[in-house]
Amino acid sequence: MQPLPKMSTFSHGPSSMALEDVRLQRGNTCVFDGLTLALHEPRIGLIGDNGAGKSSLFRLLCGLDRPQAGRVLVPEGAQAVGMMFQNPDDQIIFPTVEEELALSLPQASFTRAQAQQHVREVLQARGLAEWATRAIGSLSQGQRQHVCWLALTLAPHRVLLLDEPFASLDLPGQALLTQEIANAPQQILVSTHVLAHVRHFGRVIWLDQGRVRADGAGADVCAAYEADVASRTTA
Amino acid sequence: MNTSTLSLALVSLFAALIAVFGLIPKIDLPLGVPITLQTLGVMLAGCMLGPKRALQALVLFLAAVALGLPLLSGGRGGIGVFFAPASGYLIGWPLGAFVTGWVMSLLPTSSPRRSAISAFMASVVGGLLVVHVCGVIGLVHIANLTWEQAIMGTLVFVPGDLIKCALCATVVHTVARGLPDWRFGG
Amino acid sequence: MGSLYSDIPTWLHRVPAGLKLLALAGLGMGLMGAQQWPLLLAVSAVCVLIFVSLGAASVRAKPLVMGVLMASALVAGFHVWMAQPMLAAVTVMRLISATLMGITLTLTTRYTDLLGVFEWVLSPLQKLGLRTDRFALQLALMLRFTEHFFVMWRRLDDAYRLRTGQSGGFKILAPLTIQMLFTTRRVADALTLRLRR
Repeated sequence: MQPLPKMSTFSHGPSSMALEDVRLQRGNTCVFDGLTLALHEPRIGLIGDNGAGKSSLFRLLCGLDRPQAGRVLVPEGAQAVGMMFQNPDDQIIFPTVEEELALSLPQASFTRAQAQQHVREVLQARGLAEWATRAIGSLSQGQRQHVCWLALTLAPHRVLLLDEPFASLDLPGQALLTQEIANAPQQILVSTHVLAHVRHFGRVIWLDQGRVRADGAGADVCAAYEADVASRTTA
Repeated sequence: MNTSTLSLALVSLFAALIAVFGLIPKIDLPLGVPITLQTLGVMLAGCMLGPKRALQALVLFLAAVALGLPLLSGGRGGIGVFFAPASGYLIGWPLGAFVTGWVMSLLPTSSPRRSAISAFMASVVGGLLVVHVCGVIGLVHIANLTWEQAIMGTLVFVPGDLIKCALCATVVHTVARGLPDWRFGG
Repeated sequence: MGSLYSDIPTWLHRVPAGLKLLALAGLGMGLMGAQQWPLLLAVSAVCVLIFVSLGAASVRAKPLVMGVLMASALVAGFHVWMAQPMLAAVTVMRLISATLMGITLTLTTRYTDLLGVFEWVLSPLQKLGLRTDRFALQLALMLRFTEHFFVMWRRLDDAYRLRTGQSGGFKILAPLTIQMLFTTRRVADALTLRLRR
């Protein structure tokens, strides 16, 4: 598998995402209260303990959840923000690779046959031509994750949210995804427990119980979080 | 979350459940009468999804069978199965699921125990009665049996189906405990 | 789980799906009322001939055909035992004609072609509020879930076996349903994102 060379199928204008004084309530729990964040950088990492609100933040950004108060600003367009969930099995719909990838293409611009053709071309360009007719069930976990990634890149998204994408990948899979992320033209936010993958990001946000605990250069924030975890575990 | 996509996904899920019941290797009864574990799927769909979505799930399943997928017990499928003597039962499934769901929506589901009892009753009315009535009509018209003969024939399978109603109630009971917010009957 | 479509090409493979479906529907309806045995005999003979003309392609449907023959034998036996041989003959001929032709359709028509016809036939139902354009999607999702069910069943069974030393059998059905319902919620989320236009 080779990573995609730098090219974009859709034009990517400046993306501006922001949260203004957002309050999110889930049942009896207040997930966010008065959260304000500007998210303009091309690569942003999101770290923090489980339950800190990382997934909730992503759900707000892609519109799956709506805040009880405040505003969530995202780029124009129904498909502006895309998200990759942790488990590929939770999001793959079709039984074969080419059908699954074809779903990402805007139905208005492609007929079924054209979509299939385009998908095959894209797979060909990546050296994955034989994946086209393969059944999802015959692919490994990492390969399925890659199909999800491909589906994301084929859709007209301007922003990609990746929720713990490295969780089920082996080392080569992680390396490949890191390369892909580096070369992709979209704005990308990555939520992860594997700090190594976001340490070099221009900006990393550390979320702690719905609040921003630290926000800045990747290396610094990661180090601060690691130190905090160490102090909590040895205490 | 969008309720219409959730409904879409749930319909596909229960259609898949019925397919799973058909794909489990099982002893095939002679006369091809499909009174199999799949009826349990019909009952569960009705109790869990409510009348409208359960109907959709069964229509989706039967459409898949009609398209040639071997999803009926014993690896049967294709349009041919709808011409077999037992096809009345098949047509009874969407109707049975609908009625099961409708009855379930009328009965109390405030506690797991109540939900289970309601599920049993709904399954008997929809999954058992309605399906067998349709099956009998099918037998009369396709196999040219008399009404008495067909009814006698179908009664043989009622005990097995009653067990399935009980099984459905047990599953509903456990689901009610695991997902206390679930709205049975849709 | 494969489909019952046969890769071995026959003359019927070239006939458009819609036409075959229409012919089958016509045959089915015509057979419903037919009682005269000479007519039925002729029709049955034609149907058998058509089926046999498929040659090697029909091998795949052998279990289905066996099923039909068995059902026919039982029905016929029953009616003969009730001293109604004519009824036996008529019933069996109708059964065999319709079912064989149904099997023939399935053997010679691609799933996607039939799907196209189905969607076209179902399209008027859109006025009643049924979302028929989502039909192909729901079908695909159904197949994915079927696969997923088995994987999940195996996983839960393994966990059960590790803890109790025995296979779970149907005790696992309820936990399996709960797990799959959770998965469905997540899948619905992903679907919402991908279907937004």
